[in-house]
Formats: sequence, structure tokens, C-alpha cells
Amino acid sequence: MVASRRRAWLVGALAVVIPSGVLAATVKGKVVNTSDLLNPVWNEAKDPGSHRYTFREPSPSVPADARILRGNLSKEMCIVVLGEGKAEPLKKPIRVVVEGGRTSHVTLVVAEKQEILFENHDPWDHAIYEVTGKGGLTRGTMTPEKAGSESHKRAWTPPGPGVYEIRDEISPGLRSWVVVEPRTHKALFPNRKGDFEKLELEPGTYTLAAYYSGKQVGELLPLEVKAAPAEQPLKDPLKAGPDKKAPEKKDPKDDKKDPAKGGG
Amino acid sequence: MLLSRFWYLILSFALAAAAGILFVAQGFYNRHTERWMNEALSADASAVSWFLKDDARTKAAALLPVSLTPDLREALAKSSEADEVSKEVREKARNALTKAAKEIPEDSKFFAIFAVDADGRVVGQWNYAHRDDKDWNLGGHAVVADALAGWVRDDAWITDRGLTRIVARPVERDGGGEPIGAVIGFTIVDGAFAQRVSERTGANVAFYFQGNRSGAATRPSPDSDTEAFKSADFDVMNSDIKEAAVTEDYTQKGRSLVRRPRQDVGLVYTRMPGEVWELGSGYIVARRVTLLPTPLDFFKAADQSDKDRAPQTVLVAIAVGLGLLGLIFSIIEHTLPLRAFKRAAHEFAVGKVDTLAPSRFRGLYKRIAADVNDGVDKVLSKGGITRRAADLESVIGPLPAQPQMSAFAVPDAAGSAPVQTPAAGLPRAPERKAPPAPPGARPSQQGGLPRDEPSVPVAKVVPKPSRPGAPAPPAPPPAAASANSAITLIGEIAPASQPMSAPSPVDELADWKLVYEEFVKMKKQCGENTDGLTFDRFKGTLERNKAALVARHSCSAVKFTVYAKDGKAALRASPVK
Repeated sequence: MVASRRRAWLVGALAVVIPSGVLAATVKGKVVNTSDLLNPVWNEAKDPGSHRYTFREPSPSVPADARILRGNLSKEMCIVVLGEGKAEPLKKPIRVVVEGGRTSHVTLVVAEKQEILFENHDPWDHAIYEVTGKGGLTRGTMTPEKAGSESHKRAWTPPGPGVYEIRDEISPGLRSWVVVEPRTHKALFPNRKGDFEKLELEPGTYTLAAYYSGKQVGELLPLEVKAAPAEQPLKDPLKAGPDKKAPEKKDPKDDKKDPAKGGG
Repeated sequence: MLLSRFWYLILSFALAAAAGILFVAQGFYNRHTERWMNEALSADASAVSWFLKDDARTKAAALLPVSLTPDLREALAKSSEADEVSKEVREKARNALTKAAKEIPEDSKFFAIFAVDADGRVVGQWNYAHRDDKDWNLGGHAVVADALAGWVRDDAWITDRGLTRIVARPVERDGGGEPIGAVIGFTIVDGAFAQRVSERTGANVAFYFQGNRSGAATRPSPDSDTEAFKSADFDVMNSDIKEAAVTEDYTQKGRSLVRRPRQDVGLVYTRMPGEVWELGSGYIVARRVTLLPTPLDFFKAADQSDKDRAPQTVLVAIAVGLGLLGLIFSIIEHTLPLRAFKRAAHEFAVGKVDTLAPSRFRGLYKRIAADVNDGVDKVLSKGGITRRAADLESVIGPLPAQPQMSAFAVPDAAGSAPVQTPAAGLPRAPERKAPPAPPGARPSQQGGLPRDEPSVPVAKVVPKPSRPGAPAPPAPPPAAASANSAITLIGEIAPASQPMSAPSPVDELADWKLVYEEFVKMKKQCGENTDGLTFDRFKGTLERNKAALVARHSCSAVKFTVYAKDGKAALRASPVK
């Protein structure tokens, strides 16, 4: 009896002493129905009317069913854990890399008053700005990264809830969105296949949402995290789009109808 | 002077026509030059556009061997499967890329080549040092995303090297399927690139981005060719490009109309496809033309070969010929009459003749001669001196030529002893007193010049006619003329002449018969031939002369007398009121 009492006291003491984070569970899940998601920039870029190329043609050795332009989920989709109340911003700024024609997170959902730090990793200048001009991110040049210099960085805190579109004066193909959602408890990014494995959450009730191109897409997924076990896979996937009855079969004629095959 | 004036008129019209032709030619030349320039610039812009498209395809084809490099495909396949790109994979991709890049044909060489995995991460790069062993992702660019989705296409970016053309194509697995990566080639649009474009298209071309020129090249031309377009001429775009960039054609169609920032330079701006389309980037084709502000600029614009091609001999011949023709006309109509007048005036001045015979002159000289005669007469009349009667020919103009009446002359007022035989039966004109002559004044007669106005008196000093067979009386001295009854003023509208009445036709015929006989006699005395000089012919001549005198002077009769002049028989005609 004495031994069992001691164990109970020990567990109780540990529960008081150990921070709640230690008891957080890792949630694993998958976002599905993403095939229709495509960065609007790429959609525009394949339109001959946008004058983005002198020629665009399919590679003859790539099968037609593989020549489908799809969004890069790891860069473009943001999975948001919404809490029941207003969330506090992270103490450290969220780092967003500007490189290769996009930001590292094309869509970023943050809590209010969350600071964002943009870093230029390209070897040429960027000049990002918030489109409406009301977000406080005015036009400013970010030089290439140099040792000992901070000129390749820009810090910005969105002024309030809303969607802020970011563009680049020097690279018109760069288009990103920052969504300020006060209930944002956490944000993470799946891999290219839509899997996410490192979502650590304290026990509690949450809602999962997928954001793409600055908008919430698909269905909200209620989530209840328990103290145990340590890994808690989601029973249902997070749907970023409507279910499809049957997988689409690509019509070979579509390639011929695709206006983007013509020259620009 | 008709010829000269007509000649001046012809020359004026010819000059005006030549000037008009020059103006027309100037307008025609300028219009066609501008049209040619517009067409040439449009063709240049299209040629450059075609070259860029063809060059992009050529470069894409040059990337094919690179994308098929086994080591590169293996490296990209490994990278695409991994969360982190290992150094070994990077090294392998870099080596494969370097080897493949060197085998690209010179014409299709890239400035830099990159290999990215399926996630867009740069796994290997050639000739471009940037974050070599760190993550660098290019997958956000549409051209890279397209390549990773199995498409081949091009693009244009603004990079740290300026305007840069991009070509990308997918890298595939051995067994097919979705691409495992892509290779991306960079071509810097600099002066060398512009030179290549210019050589292939024959266009003067310059590339620009964000209002700045990034490379320019012109067709080769010798330095001495001042009309050729030079690279420095592209500077005109600096002040023009902002205005051109807001034109409707440029913003909507991507190509401006021909712009003329300078009189002799035409430009066409064309937006370059790619991301730079929205960044005020593109290329300019330009041509230089010589337009003529004025027709005289033909001569400035023409070079020596143009001048040599002109038919100089023909032009000189035309100038000389027309000049000579003008001189001939001037001599005929100006110099010769002036000289004739000069000679006559000289004779008049030295006393060889007492009057200037207007009939010997032409045009204005005739009027001048008449005015001089009138002036002299008026001056003399003021001094009481009259001049002898005027020559009939000077009065009525040239008379019909008759061998027997070759000269109708007025005897010298001083009485140079012509044989004067008044016609028989003619009433004598009343004698008039001549005004006293001033000392030294020449004998003269008033009104001895032809006058268009009949009211102007025609005074003639006529010696008293002699009877047939009577010797001709010597002419009285002028001073005694007033007292000498043999001197009669005839034709003058004067009281003295009024009593004279017109002779009857019978008397006139008889009188003319006497005159005829005296005339034949005088001719014989002068040693002239009288063969064929019949009375009928003589009468006919007198009738014609009489009619002319009567018509001109409104006289009722004409009195003819015979006298000798210069050793020849002559007749003197005197109108009778």
C-alpha cells in the first residue's frame, strides 16, 4: 500500500512540475483532395495571353498523364490549428524565405501581432510589398544575402486580422498571402504528398483548416488531442477539396486543346 | 522685246517648275523614306522576335543532352526522394552538369546551368556560385514549375546579371513517369547577345529593362559612314522610352508604333515575353534615315557618287544653250536696236541727218526718236527756226518699193538743190513766213515727224514748185524763207494753207503727167535707167501714196514734186489741206 501511495504521489508531483508541453502529443495526418489546387501565378503563366514565354510545349518523353501542373503543397499549403480562443503570437518572428520566384510559405496563417521576417536567399534583389498598401509593408528592396549585412531581411507585423497579399516589384511571378487569424494556435506545412507528421499539440480541442493561396479551402476538421499516446494519427484526412467520385482520366485531346501549347 | 520678255517668262516658269519639282521630290522622298523606314523597322522587330523564339528552342534542344546525363538523373532522383540534399548528391550533380555543359555547341552556350530536383531545390549548378551547399529553391518560377511538370518552355527574368533569358526542360527517370527534376539554362542579354541577334537578323537592336539599356548592337558599318546607325544613337531612347511605354500599342499589343525621338532616327519598342513583360523590359530596333527639311538638302544629302551619276554634260549643255539663247534674244531685241539708235543719234548729233527717222527703229526707240524730233522742233520753233519737211517715208512708214521711186526724200532745208517740180495745175500753197532762226540754228521744219494725233501740225518747208522745164530755183536761205514766196508751208493747219482747194481729178492727172515727165527727165539726168517706168505704174504709186497721206493727215490732196537726192531722182509728197 505504501508503495502504491508513493507512486501516486510521484505521478501527482510530476504532473505539477513538468510543463504541459512535455505532455503534448504528436498529431499525424494527411491533407487530401488537393489535385485541383494550383498557384494562380502558374495558371496565369501558362496562358499565352500573359506573354510569359516565346514557346511552351510538352516534353515528348514525359507521359501525358504526368504532364499535369500541380501545386507544391510543401510550399503553398498551410495547415492551421485553430484554438477555441484568441491565440498568442509566437515570441520569435516567423522566418519566410524569398527565393526562386516565391516565398518559402506561399500562404502563411498567423495569429494577431505575429512578426514575420522575410529573408532574401536569391542572388538578386527583391522588392516585396503588400498590395493594398494598408498593411504597412511598403515597397522596399531586399538585397542579396551578404555576410554581416541585414539588408536582405525585412521584418513585418501585419496590423490586424485579414488577408494580405504580398508581391514583388522585381519578380512579378512572386505572389504570397499572409492570413491573420486570431485563433491560430499553430501553423504547419505538409510535404509534397500532403502528409504532416510533426504537429505537436497539447491535449485539447482544436480545429484543423487548410489554407491555399490566401484562402481557407476544403472542410474544417475538428481535432481532439489527448494526453496519450504520444502519437495520435488523425482518423480522417483533412480535405482540401470536395471528394471526387472517380479518379479523373486525362483525355489525350486535352493536350491539343491546351492553349498554352502555342507560342507566345 | 517680245522674245526677251517671253524668254524671261519661260525662264521664270522653268525656275518655278524646277523649284516645284524639287519640293515635290522632297515630299515624295521623305514620304517614301518614312514608309520604307516604318516597314523596315516592323520587319526588324519581327525578325528579332522570331530570332528570340528560335533561339529559345535551340537552347532548349541544347539542354536535352544535359537532361539525359545519367549521373545527373541519378543525383536528381536521389535528391527528390530525400528531405535533405546530401553533399555527395550535390557533388555528383555538379560534376555531371559541368561535363555536360562543356559539350554544348558554341552557338547554344549558356551563361549558367542549374539542375533542380522535383521539389525545385538547386542540386547542382554550373558557372554560377550561390549557396553551393545550402538549400536554394528555384521551383517557384513558372518556367521551373512547368519543367517539373513535363513542359519545355522559356522565360525572361531580371537577375543580378540584368536581363536574363531562361530555358528549362524536365529531367526524367529512365522508365518514364513524372519528372525527377529539371535543368535550367541562363543566357545573359548583354552586348554579346545583342551582337549575335544583330548579326542574325540584320537589325540594329538594343535590349532594355526597367528603362535601362542592357545591351546594344548595330549592323557593322565603316566609321566614315555618317548615315549609319551607331550604338550611341540608341541614347535617344533614354528620353523617349517612358513616353513610348504608355502608348496603347505598346501596352496592349506589346509593340509600339514607329517613334521618331529624333528627326533622323526611327525606333520600335517591343516588350519581351517572360516575367520581364511587366517590368518594362524588351528590345528596340532602330534605323536611321536621312530626311530632307528643304529641297536644297538634296545637295547636302547626296554623296559624290550621287553627284557623279547626274548627267553633268547634259545639264551644262542645257545651261549654256539656254543662256546663249537668252543672249541671242537680248542682242536681237536689245543690243541691236540700241546700237541702231546709237548710230542714228550719232548721225543726228554730227549733222548727217536732221531728224531721227522713227521708222528705222523698233519698239520704244521709235517713240524716243519721235519725241526727240518733237523736242528739237519745239526748241527750234521757239527760236523761229523751222526744219525742212520730213521724209515721206518717215511720215507714212516704208513705201512700196518701186525702182523709179526708190527714194522719197525731203530736200535739205538749206536747199541742197534738189530738182523740185510741183505738179502742174496744183494750186500753190500760200507762202508763209518762217520764224526767225536763232543764230547758229540748223535749218529745220516744224512738225516733220509722224504723229498719231492728227491735230498735231505737220509743217513742211516746201520750195516753190517749178514749172516744167524751168530750172529748179535754189532754195532760199532759212532766214529769207519768210519773204520768199517760193517757200510754202503745206500740211500745216494754218490759215495760209486753208485757201488751197483740192484739185479736180483731171487736173491731178495732168499734174501727175507732168510730174512723171519731170521724174523721167530727172532720172535720166541722174543717169538712172527708166526702162519700164510707165506712167501707169508711176500713177499707181502716186495714188497709193496719196491715199496713205490723205488718210493719215486728213488732207484733201497731195502735191508731188521731183528732186534729186544723193544723185538719184526722188519724189517729195506734200499734204495739202
